[in-house]
This record gives sequence, structure tokens and C-alpha cells, in this order.
Amino acid sequence: MAAKGLADKVRETQVWKSIFRHGPPDNARNRAAVVAGNVFLHLHPIKLKKSGVQLGYTWCMGGLTFFIFLALTVSGVLLMFYYRPTAEYAFNDIIALREHVPLGIMREIHRWGAHAMVITTWLHMFRVFMTGSYKPPREFNWGVGVILLVLTLLLSFTGYLLPWDQLAIWAITVGANMAKATPFLGHGGPGASLAQIGDFVLVSDKNDVRFQLLAGRFVGEPALLRFYILHCVFIPLVVGTLIAVHFWRVRKDGGISAPL
Amino acid sequence: MRELINWIADPIRSFPIVCVLFYLMMKYYRVVGSKKFLYVALAVIIPTAVWFAADPNFFTILILPDNIPIIILLVLVGYLTWFSLHKAAINDERIEQGLGPVEGTPENREKVWCWPNLVYTELFAIIAATSFLIVWAILFKAPLEEPANPTWAPNPAKAPWYFLGLQEMLVYFDPWMAGVVLPGVVVVGLIAIPYIDTNPKGNGYYTIAERPVAQWGFQFGWLVLWIYLIIVGTFLRGPNWTFYGPFEYWDYHKVVAEYNVNLSEFMWIKWLNTAMPENMFVREILGILLSLAYMIVLPPLTAATKYGKMMIEKVGQMRYYIFVVLLLLMMSLPIKMVLRWLFSLKYIVALPELELNL
Amino acid sequence: MSEARQSLNRREFFSYLTVAWVAFGAACGGMLSLAFRYSYPNVNFEPEMEFIAGTPDMYEEGVDERYKNGMGVWMVKLEGKLFALSNICTHLGCIPNWLPAELKFKCPCHGSGYYMSGINFEGPAPRPLERYAINLTPEGKIKVDKTKVYRWEKGQWDHPNSYLEV
Repeated sequence: MAAKGLADKVRETQVWKSIFRHGPPDNARNRAAVVAGNVFLHLHPIKLKKSGVQLGYTWCMGGLTFFIFLALTVSGVLLMFYYRPTAEYAFNDIIALREHVPLGIMREIHRWGAHAMVITTWLHMFRVFMTGSYKPPREFNWGVGVILLVLTLLLSFTGYLLPWDQLAIWAITVGANMAKATPFLGHGGPGASLAQIGDFVLVSDKNDVRFQLLAGRFVGEPALLRFYILHCVFIPLVVGTLIAVHFWRVRKDGGISAPL
Repeated sequence: MRELINWIADPIRSFPIVCVLFYLMMKYYRVVGSKKFLYVALAVIIPTAVWFAADPNFFTILILPDNIPIIILLVLVGYLTWFSLHKAAINDERIEQGLGPVEGTPENREKVWCWPNLVYTELFAIIAATSFLIVWAILFKAPLEEPANPTWAPNPAKAPWYFLGLQEMLVYFDPWMAGVVLPGVVVVGLIAIPYIDTNPKGNGYYTIAERPVAQWGFQFGWLVLWIYLIIVGTFLRGPNWTFYGPFEYWDYHKVVAEYNVNLSEFMWIKWLNTAMPENMFVREILGILLSLAYMIVLPPLTAATKYGKMMIEKVGQMRYYIFVVLLLLMMSLPIKMVLRWLFSLKYIVALPELELNL
Repeated sequence: MSEARQSLNRREFFSYLTVAWVAFGAACGGMLSLAFRYSYPNVNFEPEMEFIAGTPDMYEEGVDERYKNGMGVWMVKLEGKLFALSNICTHLGCIPNWLPAELKFKCPCHGSGYYMSGINFEGPAPRPLERYAINLTPEGKIKVDKTKVYRWEKGQWDHPNSYLEV
């Protein structure tokens, strides 16, 4: 009983009470308070339909996608302490991350986590389709979800270049050359050869979408830096914003879907 | 036996087989979605998978580090597809009996507290995912090849696995179609789904009988055109992006007699027995007309059919035409594949002068 | 009427508002386009586009690979012509390999194949490899200029700068 007494005493201190404004969540009032009063938990509704908490209905894939995104953010920030995005150092830093750093599995967690996030995103979408959860009033949120799916793939794609090995550079070369083939906007795409005024070429390899992506005509050091910024800062910020919209709309559109 | 499987696995044969399997699965989903079927399927699949993995050539491909996520994906997609068919089969039977879907029973409509019902589920899911990720990270090293060398491309040079479906499309289409237009159509099409599909039924529960068009269309795109092509791109494409059966050794000097012919060459040289005309638009006139007919003439034609009229009545003209155009764009991939296999057709429209090849 | 007492009547108010919105929109658009232009640097440090490729007597009939890795060019001597063939696959920009046994260039990415002349004959490549401008300097050395490309499908391989008579 001593332990119980101690826990009660801690609960009665001013410090504890200043952090947790309610008693233990064992009655209706406190269960509502713990969810509504906590900045992280208040993403959830206080009560929800039983079908919405069943794994057989939700597969938990959306939640896992968000969790893996957080895990990737943390492991990614840790990787940034040791990684320099230059052609000279990048590859060696990747090796150092395995050989010279304690817990040399941080890159593995980040890489496999990225794959896992792609998988959970796809399966989340699959589930949402199978239960018809894109139907009104959730049409807009389905669209936000599709954009998040594209951004997830882009995050993974931009991260693919960073190890600066053969796998990376050729996958990105192939990918970037598809940008070259964009109609009218890439110099190798349909219509680009028509955009010419006399001898002056409007769309060339120096001003098309591929050049914007790579900051050059082929995958080199400027591309590495550009992909690094896109991967670590730009796309995560956009994704974070859209995740907020996505979650907000899940709540505003009536929570996890259920038969009308 | 292995020879036979190598022979069957070639997309020329395996793609129709997959389509037939897909048709059977969707048509008889109540049989496929039964527990008995799952046990029988597992009893067949597990020994087959072990037998496949026992082959040294296939095993070499299987354990490439970047292929592990695909195996996980395949297991999950397989199971979850069965699972959703299972749930849909149960619901559809209940709906037929007038009971309504399982998710709509009073017991399931009852509201429960978020704490502890949901937060603890989430906590367990997080713990499970974390431990899974850590074990995976310890067991398998992340792939790392030689340092980047811009003057020498590895053979085969593959995109990340989730883009292998797109890379497989590159065999049949030019980059501007396979890499830009069709992925763009996929994204736009996905976003458009809720605005095209006005069927009020099937909102919030598993069902197939109540929304057949949506189910057949989406599942075909997802399972056959996306997942199947990823499997082909991962396991069946070797050096020089030529086809290799699952048990075939990746011989870098495998010679494949492949000579593809443009539609314009068919028309002028084979059928009309004349030289190719100088003017490029005259040269490609047949392909241009066919493509335009496919995209512009076909939608109104389908609208005049009995089925088209029925759908227009339900969803309206605008939605119907958007739906048909998206569907035609999606079907352009299998159509081009079949044309390639049957006639070695390279391009329907070949205008390399304008970089416009279809 | 109540509008009459205001110094701005309704119509005037809306026209000012329109001007303000258009100005606001234009300013936002201008800033966005500047941010877009920011992504195209004025200077970049990519390798030289011109190089000296020895003398004509260095080359034997066939494909010479010595400038492939450094400069991305195959020097090909074929039927009395010497030309500089780009080593960038016209499909998606991978680097094909020269297979001397099969007398063809084969791209590892998607399997495009080219004859020694650079003409494509198999795989997804939409058009032949490009040739670069090639000239003799006054000292008798070969100068290859990669800024000028000659494309077969445009009928440019007859251009006098696209090959050397040897």
C-alpha cells in the first residue's frame, strides 16, 4: 500500500496538479477531460462510434502513417547531424553513419521507415476506398489525402538521391529525364521544338523543368543540394501543413466514417 | 515445371491470366471472401512460396534489400484484399436479408470513450510498429552500392520499387506519357473519384454489390495495373530491362529478338506497298485519326448505348464524360500492351520530329 | 437613400476595390514568379562542352571509347566518316554500353538498342543517338563541340559539321 500512497501523494502535489488538471481517467468526467485538455490527445473526439475503434474496420493504417512520419522526422533530424550534402562527402558520411556512430542503424530505420510509410499510405487509401469513406461529406479530405500520397512518394524520391551511390544517381537520372519529357515544359517533350522564335529556342535544356529540378543539365552536386533541401525542409513543411488540414477535416467531417 | 512457370510469367501470358483471375475474384467475391477459401489459398500459397524461394536464382532477387518492402507489401495487400472481400461478402449478405451492414448495427453505432478505447489501440499499434521497424533495421542493412559514377550506369538500373510500375509502363509508352501524362491522370483521377461517384450507397461500410462500377474500376487500376506491374518490374525484369522468368539466371548477354514497327510503317509499306510520304502528318495520318477517334469519338458513342444512357441519367453528362475519358486513358495502357504483344507495334503515332510519340 | 450620404457611392467603392484586388493579385503573382526565377541560377559549373579529341589518324574503323567516360562521347569511324556520337540514351538519359560482340549499343535502363551508326532499332528509344559538331582545327586536331547537336530524324546528319571525312 506504500506505493499507492506515494502515487496519491504525487498526484496531490502542486507540480502534478499544474500539469494535469484532472483526476485519473476512470470516470466519465475525467475521461472527457484527459482527451479534451491535452494538446496531443485533443486530435481525437471525446467519444466515437464503436465501429471507428475496431481494427477490423480501420486497419489503423492512417494513424500508423502519421506515426511513421513522426519517426522519420526524428531519425531524419538525427541523420542530419552527420550528413553533408556534397558530392565529396555525402557517400562517405553515409558509410560513417553505419561504421563510426553508435547505434549504427539510424539510417536503416530511416530508410525502411520510408518504405513502410509508402506502404501504409497506400493501404490507408485502399481501406478508405473499400469502405467508401471518400463519399460526401469527405470528398475534399480524400483530395487532400491524394496530395499527401503524392508528397509521400516525392519525399521518398528526393531522399533516394542523398546516399549518392549508383542506385541513387541513376534512379534520379531516370526520374529527372521524365521531367524533361513534360509536354511544352521540358525540352525533350512534345511541343517543345515548336516553341521557337526564329533561332531563339524558348524551351532548352537550360530553362526547362528538369533544369529547375536539378539546378543543372544532369544529376550533379547542385541537384544533391536541391534534393536535400526539398527532402529535409520544403516537402516536410508542406506535408506537415496538409496533415493538419487532413486531421482537422476528419474531425469536422464527422470523424471516422460509419454507415449513415 | 520451372520452365513452364518461366514461360507463363512473361507478361504476354501472365497479364491476361492476372486479368482473368481478377475477373473471377471480383465476380465470385463471396466465395473468395470466405474463410474456407483463405485456408485453402494459404495451404497452396505457403508451400509454393517456399518452393519459389528454394530456387537459387529467384532467391537472389528475393533478398535484394530493396525488394523486402515489396514482399511485405504483397503479403499485406494479399491479406487485406481478402479481408475486405470477406467483410464485403458478409455485409452484402446481410443487406440482402434486409439487416444492413455490420458497421450499422446498434451495437456498433454505440458511442464509446476515446480514452481508453482508442488511445490504447493506438499505443499498441505504435509499439508494434516501432518494434517491427527496429527488428527490420537490425536484420537488414539499408542498400548502398558503389559511389555515384555519372559515366557508368548499372545494369539493370531500376527506379525505387514504388515507381517500378511506372518504369514498366516505359516499355510501352514514351516518357512523356508514362512519366508525366499517365501519372498525372492517376492523381487527377483519384482526386476526381468522389465527385464522379455519386452513388450514395456504400458510405462507411464494406460492400461490393452496392457499388460495382466503383469497385471494379478502382480495383482493376490498383491491383492489376499498379501492383501487378510493380511485381513484373521487380521480379521479372533483369539486365537491359529484358524479361527474365522467376527461375531464370540473369544472363547479361541474353539476346532478345525484338523489332518493333510503327503503325505508319504498317500502313504505307506493308498494306499500301509504297514509300513513306515526306510530310510527317500525312505519314502518321492513320495513327492520328485513330488516337483522336479513341479520345473524342468514342465517349459520345458510348453515351448512346443503353448502358451509357443509364449512367448519364444517374450522374449527369459532365460526370459521365469525365469518367469515360479517365477510363479510356487508364485502358490505353493495357490496349497498348496487347498491341505490342500481338503486332510488335511500337508507336501508333510516331512523330520523333516533335518528340510526340504515342 | 443611405448610400447618398457616404462620400463613396457603391459603384465607385467597387471599382476602387477591384483596382486594389488586381494590384494585390499582381504583386503576389510578381513575387511568386521572382521566387520561381530564383530557382534558375545564372551561373553553373558544369563541365566544358568543347574538347580536343586527338588527331584523325588515332582512330581505327569502329567504336572508340576513350572519350566516353570523361566527355560522354563515342568517336565512331564508319564507312569513311568519323563522327562524335552522344552517349546519352534518347529514351531517359542513361548511358548505353557498347557491346563489341553484338555490334550494338545497349542501354541498361530500359533495353534500347542502337546500331554502330547511332540509329535505334530495338527497345523503347524514340529516336537515334545525337551526334555532336566535329571540326578540324588549323593544327590538324579534332575539335568536338557538344553545344551543337545534329539529329537524324531532322535530316541533320548530312550537315558538313556533323562528320569528318577520313
